[in-house]
Amino acid sequence: MNLERLPNEEKLGLCRKYYLCGFACLPFLWLVNVVWFFREAFRKPAYTEQTQMKTYVKRSALGLLFWFTVLTTWITIFQHFRAQWGAVGDYLSFTIPLGTP
Amino acid sequence: GSSSSPRAHPETTGGVWDETPVQRSRGNDSSPEQNGQAPTAHPQVVENEEDEDEEMTLKYGAKHVIMLFVPVTLCMVVVVATIKSVGFYTKNDGQRLIYTPFPEETDTVAQRAVNSILNATIMITVIIVMTLVLVLLYKYRCYKVIQGWLFLSSLLLLFFFSYIYLKEVFKTYNVAMDYFTLAIIVWNFGVVGMMCIHWKGPLRLQQAYLIMISALMALVFIKYLPEWTAWLILAVISVYDLLAVLCPKGPLRILVETAQERNEPIFPALIYSSTMVWLVNMADIERPNRNSAEVGLPQQNTHGEAVASPAPASPSPDDGGFTSTWINQQQHQLGPLQSTEETRREIQQMPSARPPVEDDDEERGVKLGLGDFIFYSMLVGKASATASEDWNTTLACFVAILIGLCLTLLLLAIFKKALPALPISIFFGLVFYFATDNLVRPFMDKLALHQFYV
Repeated sequence: MNLERLPNEEKLGLCRKYYLCGFACLPFLWLVNVVWFFREAFRKPAYTEQTQMKTYVKRSALGLLFWFTVLTTWITIFQHFRAQWGAVGDYLSFTIPLGTP
Repeated sequence: GSSSSPRAHPETTGGVWDETPVQRSRGNDSSPEQNGQAPTAHPQVVENEEDEDEEMTLKYGAKHVIMLFVPVTLCMVVVVATIKSVGFYTKNDGQRLIYTPFPEETDTVAQRAVNSILNATIMITVIIVMTLVLVLLYKYRCYKVIQGWLFLSSLLLLFFFSYIYLKEVFKTYNVAMDYFTLAIIVWNFGVVGMMCIHWKGPLRLQQAYLIMISALMALVFIKYLPEWTAWLILAVISVYDLLAVLCPKGPLRILVETAQERNEPIFPALIYSSTMVWLVNMADIERPNRNSAEVGLPQQNTHGEAVASPAPASPSPDDGGFTSTWINQQQHQLGPLQSTEETRREIQQMPSARPPVEDDDEERGVKLGLGDFIFYSMLVGKASATASEDWNTTLACFVAILIGLCLTLLLLAIFKKALPALPISIFFGLVFYFATDNLVRPFMDKLALHQFYV
């Protein structure tokens, strides 16, 4: 889908929908939103809907950052302490690597 | 324990067709007739225009051929890389699809041949039935059924198969993964995929997703189809493709003609497009229609996906944990199992003359159905999995398929109607595979043995 072809209200609508849907634990959607609408929101000459689009893109970026930190911390903790947690670690694991940790 | 067998794989249509405005390539035939006459300025100008037209057609052709090479290559690369690294997809677990109930581990070669022929027959029958069901559904305007079917198929593919794929990749690389992160990953991948494919999303991302699901499907086929059956199926599918698309009574041709009569798009398609497909994926079709758009809409078709639900053969004791009740329930929910092939092509009659489109040229491009991606990748993947001479055969098949694709696109430029994309490529691929495996390899071995370099 080419953004060039859409009228501005529709672009805004699309940006908004992507932003709202991202709240369903979908940081990837926020990432897509930021990357896709970045040029529209920040690089293009101003038009009426652009201010609103900017807020959406900024908030998506914030949400993305939040999820990124949460996931990184969790993954680091898990990978580091998995062996020490014993049974709980195994229970949480989807795949358990072979060999000694 | 054995891994669970995949339930269903959606399929999408294949086929190649072009959206460039038809430009009759007129040859430079004006001047030779003017023997003895000095060419006047006017014929020269006309000739130049004709040259430009021809050039434009060719330029489109070359550019779009390249645009299709990239995704086809990417898909094949993904499949081959997975086959080479993740052992799961080449390991024989003893599970089979219900479509191919006859085992190939038999005592005699004759028995094996008979079994594989029977398997292929069953599969192609299923495919034909599914295509007919689809055509009937379309004829009687049961659009909701078809859309729901498509939706469920892609849902299953994006979530379930990618889950299995991730599991096997993690196992291969000995990485620990917890359920929480996994859930986040699969959920994100699946939902964004569904949005990109069925709704609106960035073009590149949509193309990437289509490539990924084609690769996943091809991997499933490679895993669950025994060897001889797979090759036979490939051959038979190409023939069926040819017939279904080109014969006047072919189901796919009927489908497309019906769509054109009604002047509507068939249903949201799963077609890979080398350019933007905003005409297809737009939910609001009541956009101001230029001529090209209206003509364009019926062209974006694919027929649904075939959801083939491969349940392990019930007589086999190793049913992967799926009880027969679960299987029945799945079948009940997903509807009859569909064939993969109906996904493919469509025939379209390009209108003989179309006014030039006001959109810029990048809008139009060549489209290739996902079924074609899947079978190309399946051929190359099978070649890399089972060939004795590692990379030679794989590369030979790869080159063969690309050559076939080139030829198909060339024919497309000449005939300007939708064509089946499978036959030429698969034919070349099969020829190259068997030739390389059986002729080139011993030749190379002998040469290496005698230290004779050519």
